[in-house]
Amino acid sequence: MSMHSEPPDDMDTLRKKIIGLGETSLHKSYYPELQSRLAELERFRALLDQTHDAIFLIHAETGRLADVNASAGAYLGYSKAELLAIPFASLFSPQQSARFVDLARKSDHPSGFRQTCTASLLSREGTEIPVEITIRSVTFDGEPYIVAIARDITDRILAEKELKIKESALESSINGILIADLTGTIIYANPGFASIFGYERRETIAERNIATFFVDPVFGGEITGHILDNDAIMKETIGLRNDGSPFHIQVSGSVVQNDAGQPLCIMLIVVDITERILTDQMKRETYAQLEKNIEQFAILGDHIRNPLQVIVGYAEMIDDPLARKILDQSDRIDEIVTQLDQGWMESANVRRFLRRRDSGATPSAGRFVSLSTRKEDEF
Amino acid sequence: MIQRNQFELRKFVVPEFICGYGALQLAGRYARNFGMKQVLLVTDPGIRAAGWANAVGESLTEARIPFTVLDAVSPSPRSGQVMAGVEVYRSEECNGIVAVGGGSPMDCAKGIGIVSSNMQDILTFEGVDRVPVPAPPLICIPTTAGSSADVSQFAVIKDETEKRKIVIASKALIPDLSLVDPEPLTTMSRELTMNTGMDALSHAVEAYVSSGSSPMTDLHALEAIRLIHSALPAVIEDPKNLELRFSTLLASLHAGLAFSNASVGVAHAMAHSLEGIYDLPHGRCNALLLEHVIAANYEAAPDRYDRIGAIFDRGKGEQATLAGEIAAFRRSIGVAGTLATAGVLEDAIPALARRAYADPCLVTNPRRLACEDIERIYEHAF
Repeated sequence: MSMHSEPPDDMDTLRKKIIGLGETSLHKSYYPELQSRLAELERFRALLDQTHDAIFLIHAETGRLADVNASAGAYLGYSKAELLAIPFASLFSPQQSARFVDLARKSDHPSGFRQTCTASLLSREGTEIPVEITIRSVTFDGEPYIVAIARDITDRILAEKELKIKESALESSINGILIADLTGTIIYANPGFASIFGYERRETIAERNIATFFVDPVFGGEITGHILDNDAIMKETIGLRNDGSPFHIQVSGSVVQNDAGQPLCIMLIVVDITERILTDQMKRETYAQLEKNIEQFAILGDHIRNPLQVIVGYAEMIDDPLARKILDQSDRIDEIVTQLDQGWMESANVRRFLRRRDSGATPSAGRFVSLSTRKEDEF
Repeated sequence: MIQRNQFELRKFVVPEFICGYGALQLAGRYARNFGMKQVLLVTDPGIRAAGWANAVGESLTEARIPFTVLDAVSPSPRSGQVMAGVEVYRSEECNGIVAVGGGSPMDCAKGIGIVSSNMQDILTFEGVDRVPVPAPPLICIPTTAGSSADVSQFAVIKDETEKRKIVIASKALIPDLSLVDPEPLTTMSRELTMNTGMDALSHAVEAYVSSGSSPMTDLHALEAIRLIHSALPAVIEDPKNLELRFSTLLASLHAGLAFSNASVGVAHAMAHSLEGIYDLPHGRCNALLLEHVIAANYEAAPDRYDRIGAIFDRGKGEQATLAGEIAAFRRSIGVAGTLATAGVLEDAIPALARRAYADPCLVTNPRRLACEDIERIYEHAF
């Protein structure tokens, strides 16, 4: 031992250390390190217990549970001790149990074996909990184990169901529905849209710009920006079919936003209104003809009354029994013409009513008058 | 007669210990070194009143280790006291134990340690090697010179329901550190000094003649006997003498190292049985029994007993027997009387013998004894 170079004061310190009385002259103890490792494990355990997934550690040779996290007990309504007494496969419905007996007890899974499937865990009360379960083989101390991580997918299944309903609604709508990104590039077109615009295959619509479906290039070019600026639009315009033919459409569009109110995409609903437009046109022409006919009736009445007035004048000047008959017949003709006048007035009222109805205006109670009242007013 | 083979396998387990004046003040440093974050300081009301628990507490405070004092420990610690201590240990989130006192606080501390780590009732550990999980770190500071619980693998707990003492023997019970400081011994009463001194002598004698003895335990046992023989009578007359106190403390340490590895014999088995029923001090029971046990065992290990005798009968000639010497010795230091004068009833002897016969300490007695043999020893001691 070479201690000759130590100064005298340090010799005492060194002596203390050599005889085991130094501050750090410690007997070997694993306890502090074990405590530290234990604390680390407890922290990790707390993490596992906090996760929403149920975690099971299964003896591969027996299929019995070796360990579970707190979520497993919480999901299934068992204490940890109770769970450890239940074979893993028994946690599934009887129809699925056999499958998990095989899966959990295979000790010859290749290293890193991993499988994901969906199944239903059975709670203590018998409720089936749909889960996505990932199974992996692991080895601890040379013993084969299976780690199964089960994630409750109840919410996911509900969401998928809702999504399916919405998707079906979109797919089956007779109206044309387009979903485009914020630049106007089409992401989705429903069969209704393809049908309205004369496309046999929807795939040919995807990735085209909305603008290409309108005759008016200005409207087509501005519709995306307009929707984004105003959140919504409703307009009648002329669409352009696949074969290049124009047709009347009504377009309503809106911005689809996320929960934070940020725009995700735009959606257009297109209705083919060609038939309605043609009907409207036909009505307008019919009304014009009707008006013309009524005016003809009015003129014809005047044309009849003038010579009739002359006949009545002559007849009144004749002192003859036949004059009375002529006057009677003239009165009768006047009544007929008057009836024709009344018919004209009624026709004018009907025409005004139909126009108002077709234009969508509802006559107010204060303005609505019966045809007979109107007739008297007119006279 | 026990035939010993020098090549027979033997194991010698020694805890770390620090001897000397002021060793007690190292409690804080070592508690920190053991990673203790919250200490359960186990003691008894007498030791607390004497100020030794506070002295240890100051050392812990100096090392910035918080502690909780548990002083509800009676002589012959009860199973209920152990379990109550475990509740305190858990509720205070302790991770280490420091015991200050005689055999009772140290045995109670050992019990608390193994129950806290094994989560079982203390009575389930009765017997040998029945502690599967090691206890948390335990530092012992003995304030008597007799029990040697600070270095031994034994803990003796009283089963309150059955009114008996159970012996737990396990290497897992050996404390991690003993701080052997003579100063706390200066506040021991005369009676406590006598009884604990005789306890140490019983440990040494029984370990030396034990069927589990080894050359290593022999060294410690004989040195313990020599020190007790020379220092115990003197310290009773001069109780404040630190050198004499230290000699008795070293005697107890040697005896502890010997009996913790070689175990003891029928005197301890019989003492445990007596204490279960009568609440007598352990050292006094051993003192009243030892001479009679030596007489009963002598033929099984005459050479060994003679070597012990050689320490006692120096200058007294060869006529005196060891049993007689031991009897004279205990009387000389003030431990007089018999089992009868201690309050033991003669009718109880068969039951006492049956319990003693089931005690694990009997396993290493140099002579194989039947239950009736034990009854005879009780009768002689009566």
